[in-house]
Amino acid sequence: MSIVANLPRRTLTLTEEEAPSPPAMQLTGRRRMTSEERAAASTIFEEFRADPRHHDFVLGCLNCGECTTGCPAARFYDFSPREMLQIAENGDATTLWDAMQEKIWACCQCYTCNMRCRFGNDIAGIISVMRELSVSHGLESTRKTLAPFGRSLTLLMTVGTQVSSDMIQPDFFRDWGPFATGSDKVWGVSAEVMRKAIPLDVLQTTRSAWEVSVQTSLELFRIYEETGVLDMLRGLDPDLTEMLVDIIEERREEFGEARERFRAELEGMKGPVATFTG
Amino acid sequence: MNPILVLGGGPAGLSAAAELAALGAPALLVERENYLGGNPKRWHYSLLAPDLKPAEEILGALLSKVEGNPKVDLRLSTTLSKAERSESGYLVTLKSADAVETRAVSAVVLATGFDHFDSRRKFEYGYGRFPDVLDFKELEAMIHDDRVVRPSDGKPPRRIAWILCVGSRDIQVGNPWCCRLGCAVSIKQAVEVRQKHPEIDAYVYYMDIRTYGLWEDLYWKSMQEYGVKFIRGRIGQITMAEGGSRLLATGEDTILSRPTEVPFDMIVLASGMEPGVGTKEAAALFAAPVGPEGFLSPSLSDLNPVDSGIPGLFYAGAATGPKAIPDAVTEGMGAALRAYQYARR
Repeated sequence: MSIVANLPRRTLTLTEEEAPSPPAMQLTGRRRMTSEERAAASTIFEEFRADPRHHDFVLGCLNCGECTTGCPAARFYDFSPREMLQIAENGDATTLWDAMQEKIWACCQCYTCNMRCRFGNDIAGIISVMRELSVSHGLESTRKTLAPFGRSLTLLMTVGTQVSSDMIQPDFFRDWGPFATGSDKVWGVSAEVMRKAIPLDVLQTTRSAWEVSVQTSLELFRIYEETGVLDMLRGLDPDLTEMLVDIIEERREEFGEARERFRAELEGMKGPVATFTG
Repeated sequence: MNPILVLGGGPAGLSAAAELAALGAPALLVERENYLGGNPKRWHYSLLAPDLKPAEEILGALLSKVEGNPKVDLRLSTTLSKAERSESGYLVTLKSADAVETRAVSAVVLATGFDHFDSRRKFEYGYGRFPDVLDFKELEAMIHDDRVVRPSDGKPPRRIAWILCVGSRDIQVGNPWCCRLGCAVSIKQAVEVRQKHPEIDAYVYYMDIRTYGLWEDLYWKSMQEYGVKFIRGRIGQITMAEGGSRLLATGEDTILSRPTEVPFDMIVLASGMEPGVGTKEAAALFAAPVGPEGFLSPSLSDLNPVDSGIPGLFYAGAATGPKAIPDAVTEGMGAALRAYQYARR
């Protein structure tokens, strides 16, 4: 993610051919869209407004800015949840298209905006709807934005986590989570020192979090298949999707073999045996 | 004629009692507190928007018509514990510290009013934790006494912010309605502060300015003549600035679309108006219909704004919704007339 806020704003007078791709977020002189892009933008816009969640999440806006006040991303990027909601509520196809190129990925989905919103909007939710559309339509900019996250995505899709639970021990993260209380003075140490106290052997064995049971892995993948997440990802990154499918096929075979072995063992046993279906 | 009960001794109730007395009808004026004047008296309101007349002058005029008037039976520190419909009106039970008394009344005017929103419920503003975050009713008393100083150290402030719509237009605290007066009163306070202390900078953070009707003049003058500054956007949180002596207000300037973080010596919260405790109790006692906001609902808000729809029961003032004093006084008059008509039917 580039830090757009740090870029000088320029007035562009480029022709379509000269223009950078994907379109940079500028106040004025935005690159003209190609006819394909215009068509895609219009389809996305229609899908977006027809999504039942749009009706539930976007209620109205007093433009008070409290969502942006609490937004951690707004402090570092040229990003504002209020702007996103305005676009969701009042924007046209082009505005939505522009926001979906880059800005939606600045959101860290912490839902602080929702907590602050005095109108009761689900702002983080509508941003995640925009993200879904940008992925399912395989936007070029989304491909580029998400490219560095392939490894995280692979872990999430195959084992369901990318952080070692060993690492997240409350003792070392007393400043985290909904029950975080106190301060440096209460703990006697700073958060930085606490992190350094994480035993090295734990830090080095993050892989343990990724060693999940085969059933868990398969169940997870089944959910991704059934809910259409896999198809969505296929539009964006077919190579990564194929790789994931390969990994899971391997696990399915592994599971099938294990089951056969177990059945054979059961048959080899004498006497009454509890029935097992699996 | 049995007396007509007026419940509540704020501007609306005083107006109703005074008008009944003027009609020659006996009024039984019941007030829970040991003084008359309602919220304006309780919180020592200073000047009243939009004409900037002292609250005492307005209340004084109403009080002079009621206090000592032989037609008005005045009961302070008294509440209503029971109300029963009767053929001639109502049988009501009055309760005070030393007596319980049942009286037959020919009609009832509920003028039970509003309570200010408790700003502690907007925890992000730190009201109740930071001494220099004030509710605007507290600043009202400060201005009234001409003693505008920081509660934390008693020093005069250099820069004050007003935050509008605290506990109004906010589904998070369950109050989606507009309080109607927060804008005008805050702007009036900023004008008063600037009049007496031109060295103090005054900033008003707003979503919309609702100085409705002729009150708009106050808004314009506050900029033209008193240099009050208006910033569109809300303060989302208040913390202590580095050094710990000033407040730091963080928000978004939604016109410039950029974050703001400004240190202030004092921050004033324009707390909204909620149905008063007395209004809630009266609604239960009289089985009177209330709207989703908890205010009493007139039977037809356009044609019969002071009628409850229940025979013999009438409303006046902020019991039916946020209201300015002139409106409360007008409704007091209207309710008195309607109650009088009912009693004489």
